[in-house]
Amino acid sequence: MLEIKNLHASIDDTKILKGLNLKVSTGEVHAIMGPNGSGKSTLASVIAGREDYDVTEGKIDFMNNELSELSPDERAREGIFLAFQYPVEIPGVSTTNFMKTAVNQVRKSKGEKPLDAVEFLKLMKEKMKLVNIKQELLSRSINEGFSGGEKKRNEIFQMAMLNPKLSILDETDSGLDIDALKIVSNGVNTLRSKDNATIVVTHYQRLLNYIVPDFVHVLMDGKIVKSGDKNLALELEEKGYDWIKVKN
Amino acid sequence: MVESLNLEKSISRELDKDVKLMKSNTLKNIKGSLKTYKEEYKYTPLFKKTANKIQINDSKLDYDIEKIKSSIPKNDDYKIIVIDGLYKEELSKIPSGVLINKYSDLSEDMKGEFQKAYRGFDDSKKDIFSSINTINHLECLTICVEKDVNIKNKISIINFTNSTQSSYFRKSILIKKSSYVSFSEEFLGSTEEISFSNSVSEIFLDENSKLDYFSCQNFRKNFHFNSINVFQRKDSISNFHTYSFSGATIRNNLNILLKDKNCYANMYGFYAIKNKSHIDNHTTVDHMDENSISNEHYKGIVEGGSRGVFNGKIYVRQKAQKTNAFQSNNNILLSDNAKVNTKPQLEIWADDVKCSHGCTVGQLDEDALFYLMSRGIPKKEATSILLSAFSSDITEKIEDDNLRKHYEELILSELEGLNYE
Ligand SMILES: Nc1ncnc2c1ncn2[C@@H]1O[C@H](COP(=O)(O)OP(=O)(O)OP(=O)(O)O)[C@@H](O)[C@H]1O
Ligand SMILES: [Mg+2]
Repeated sequence: MLEIKNLHASIDDTKILKGLNLKVSTGEVHAIMGPNGSGKSTLASVIAGREDYDVTEGKIDFMNNELSELSPDERAREGIFLAFQYPVEIPGVSTTNFMKTAVNQVRKSKGEKPLDAVEFLKLMKEKMKLVNIKQELLSRSINEGFSGGEKKRNEIFQMAMLNPKLSILDETDSGLDIDALKIVSNGVNTLRSKDNATIVVTHYQRLLNYIVPDFVHVLMDGKIVKSGDKNLALELEEKGYDWIKVKN
Repeated sequence: MVESLNLEKSISRELDKDVKLMKSNTLKNIKGSLKTYKEEYKYTPLFKKTANKIQINDSKLDYDIEKIKSSIPKNDDYKIIVIDGLYKEELSKIPSGVLINKYSDLSEDMKGEFQKAYRGFDDSKKDIFSSINTINHLECLTICVEKDVNIKNKISIINFTNSTQSSYFRKSILIKKSSYVSFSEEFLGSTEEISFSNSVSEIFLDENSKLDYFSCQNFRKNFHFNSINVFQRKDSISNFHTYSFSGATIRNNLNILLKDKNCYANMYGFYAIKNKSHIDNHTTVDHMDENSISNEHYKGIVEGGSRGVFNGKIYVRQKAQKTNAFQSNNNILLSDNAKVNTKPQLEIWADDVKCSHGCTVGQLDEDALFYLMSRGIPKKEATSILLSAFSSDITEKIEDDNLRKHYEELILSELEGLNYE
């Protein structure tokens, strides 16, 4: 589904990704771990198409298409979803209206007819239940004044609404209490299928007890330096990242 | 430059003795208003652009009345129709409790009542275009809202400009004690040619009265000068909503004098400027007595090659203790060569007051744009969502649901035409 080859990316002439390779197939869950500043969020943004980053080398294929020419909205309509590490607050735009526009844009690109108010509400109710988010929150401006946990839940709610092929969850677990973590993980697991795939970026092994990964990768200094199965996360938690540095 | 205008002609044909005197006094003082022109029109050289259009055209204007009729909304709402400054009773619909007359047709008593409004406090001593309006206008339309009248449905004022030269509109509005009225004013051009419309309105709010005033300017290539001068008595409330869209050059003066205690004035404005046009809002609030509140918020979006100007003056006189005066102006520039000049000016002589002012000039929030796009919304729609959200602080101040919807839709359609690069 996703194949990243020798990806180099920089921002304002600072090199951040330095030859990264990653292959994700349908039905899989990949976890990416790594120290602060190693380039995890950068990778997520580059896949989602943020234009501030220059891809200087390498390429990303998604569903056998080269992504480089696609704008962020086109990538989203192709089925890529990014749950932001720091969701943006947007005053004056309610999540409900925003989602209605987004869902119908995605439908339009698939040649489906737009949902009417009743159908949309039905879909929304169903997905709200999944992440246990209140209507009241969704009629407010996007993320404005939301608590950290509410913002993360809103991300997963949006993911559920858009039903993407590839979801990238950038530290969706950070700052969540154990109940919220269960709710969010449960949402993610419910949406998992053999046709989609998930990349979770996290610092904590704890999340991986709930969202069990098929692969764990360690990203350091802009490259994936080690990959393994879920036991790698346990090992990392125990030994820290220095252990890898020493081994290399 | 004024000498070349031959304004004496307008005075010599005036029939009303008092008005004639007012006109000739204004002409005598016009040098004074010219003096402040340079400073007040620093960014808006309106005179240079319209000098050859300022004179009134003597030839009898014929216009296509059917065409005009077709652009008047066909509903039962109250409306006041004015063509090139002349009131058209047969096309208008006036609620009871409201009296509409030409000033020259008023009884001596009524003239006395309007004296203050009509001739008392326009800004022609300081403003050259108001001076020219005072001298050149053919007819002053008086609107009197009688005492204790509550007019729930808004009254539309539709002004048509036909002349390819200039049209002068002059209104004097008197809202008597404890009355409420809502006006929604619009200027429409019926010629394809570039013209100049010049409008001056004086509004007198008597004790305990309330006014809502909507002004919508949506020209294509017109030059428009508009001055509204407001005088408020004790316990009165005014709410001004000024929406300006394209137009070659628009200059708005809104001057509010809070004469007594316990007055309340709200001034909200929104502008979206495109097609190399130019919109200038100059406002003044003068707090003369204790315990009054003024609250002003203007927001605007400016496309490349266009310019916005905002100048807000607040005066708090020594007697005006316990004044609350707030002002802010926020702008989004859509490209590097879009320009905004914004300037708050506060002069405070009283010591026990709360005043605040602030202005911002910024760009569209890139993080927000990426967030919306990352959910599948194309750049153009995402931008338009963000810009209309930006305008929502202003539109949400409109209490009437239908009217608010109307302005929200107008803004959306205006935003679609904006150029982002
Ligand atoms: N605009 C920028 N200009 C220069 N450097 C930047 C810019 N944005 C990010 N960086 C740098 O890029 C590096 C990678 O940042 P990134 O956010 O991808 O790290 P991360 O792995 O997600 O870290 P964390 O675990 O703290 O979230 C950091 O060193 C960061 O300071
Ligand atoms: Mg990060």
